[in-house]
Amino acid sequence: MARAIRSNTRVDLIVLSACIVLALAARALPNTMRDPVATGMRRSFLAPLVMLQERSEKGRQSLLAADAKQAYLDSLSLNSMKAGSLEGENDRLRKLIGLGSRVRWGFVPAEALHGRGIRDETTVILSAGSRAGVSRLSPVIAPEGLVGVVDQVDPTMSHAMLWTHPDFRVSAMSPDGTAFGIAQAHLTGATGGYLIELRGVPFRATLKPGALIVSSGWGGVWPRGIPVGTVLEEIKTSEGWARTYLLRPAVNPADVYSVMILRRDRLAKGLEGVWQSVAQADAAAQRIVVSGDSAARTAALAEAAARRAVIDSMARANGAPPLGAFDSTRAVTPRPTPIRRPPRPDTTPRDTVRRDSVPPTDTIPLRPGTTR
Amino acid sequence: MSMGGAIRAIISFLIFVALHYTLRPLLGWRAPMDFLILALLLAAVRVRPSTAAVIGFVLGLISDSLAPDALGAGALAMTTVAFGASYLKAVFFADNLVLNAFFFFLGKWVFDIMYFIGEQRVHGVELVQQLLLWSPLSAAVTAAVGVLLLFIMRPLLEPSPA
Repeated sequence: MARAIRSNTRVDLIVLSACIVLALAARALPNTMRDPVATGMRRSFLAPLVMLQERSEKGRQSLLAADAKQAYLDSLSLNSMKAGSLEGENDRLRKLIGLGSRVRWGFVPAEALHGRGIRDETTVILSAGSRAGVSRLSPVIAPEGLVGVVDQVDPTMSHAMLWTHPDFRVSAMSPDGTAFGIAQAHLTGATGGYLIELRGVPFRATLKPGALIVSSGWGGVWPRGIPVGTVLEEIKTSEGWARTYLLRPAVNPADVYSVMILRRDRLAKGLEGVWQSVAQADAAAQRIVVSGDSAARTAALAEAAARRAVIDSMARANGAPPLGAFDSTRAVTPRPTPIRRPPRPDTTPRDTVRRDSVPPTDTIPLRPGTTR
Repeated sequence: MSMGGAIRAIISFLIFVALHYTLRPLLGWRAPMDFLILALLLAAVRVRPSTAAVIGFVLGLISDSLAPDALGAGALAMTTVAFGASYLKAVFFADNLVLNAFFFFLGKWVFDIMYFIGEQRVHGVELVQQLLLWSPLSAAVTAAVGVLLLFIMRPLLEPSPA
């Protein structure tokens, strides 16, 4: 028994020694031989384990990258949300630069600082004051048109009254000068403060919806030609001697961020032609609308005529008189007014009383006690 | 050991090896658990020292094949640890979780000491830091996971009643 144990122990030690020698031999292998051995093992019976480890590493990388990807997606979403406002701001600034290049001189660029809620927007603080050449009653404009007027001036900033202010007035007219009036904020109704009224327009002057209204230059504060708004509709007021129109303002007070303050010396030179492109675009749009309407009307007339011809020919083929008397296209086809002739005197004698040749046959029974 | 016990031990061994190549890289801890050491120790206490030495040598070569620069270091360390565990199984092999945890901790730490010294890749302060800080931490994690797995896989690892 003891010999067997000793023998087993000897075998164990021999195997252990052999394994240690082999391990040391593997450790002592040069790199040129070590790599092929390791590669051979990895590509043969260790391939499944290597594959498992690769997949686990990839899974871990995916888990680690998930947070970064989510953060990237979040920031991307945030940026895309900001992109709309940035595009709008960029567009406004481009327009302002374009306006500046058209005005050329005599203006002070400024930032409008909104102090209160948007719905109460009647005044703004402007980031330019008397040191920059701003004076009281200097007009404030935006690329779209009229914004307001400076009412208080500090050395470094100024206070402006927007067109939404109840005390704001500007003399306005149609670009062709056929209609004049006084523009002010439309303070009644659900849209109070967000639309403009053009009051005091002479009764003979009518304005169509969509017509542009600009400042007239009367009064000495506003130069001529600054867009005030476009006509929406005529509204009824107690003033019977003049018309009042509702205008969509050229400038939304909530969108006023970058503005220009016109200096007094610039006003004397006028702003003719600065918004000419706007007026021209408006006129061109009106022309396009009118031409589109006339083209549609012509097409409708041609179609109606063709339909009428077909109906007449069908009626003629069936031996019936033409259907011109009850033409369905009458509603759209203008027909000449028939010439009224004086009635001829009736020369044929006839009975004045028409007698019934058929006895009355009433199917409704009479009620008892009544007479027919 | 009966045939059923041997099959269950082999299944447990394969599960540990598979965990070593799946769960360990997935977690990617700085002081990782070593499922190969756990598998080796659990196999070593069930076989003769010579068989344990062979298992350790093969398992070491497998682990070394993924790090060719250290080829042989892992085989040497695992051979020694497996032989020692099998030789001392009378002392350490007991149905006591704390003792088993110490067994796992010691096996992993001894393996790390032999491996890093034999690998000769880390030197100086870094080697001391590795052997006295990260290796004990890794050994502790390995012991904890080993005890947990022993608890979970008790039906597989318990000797058959026959």
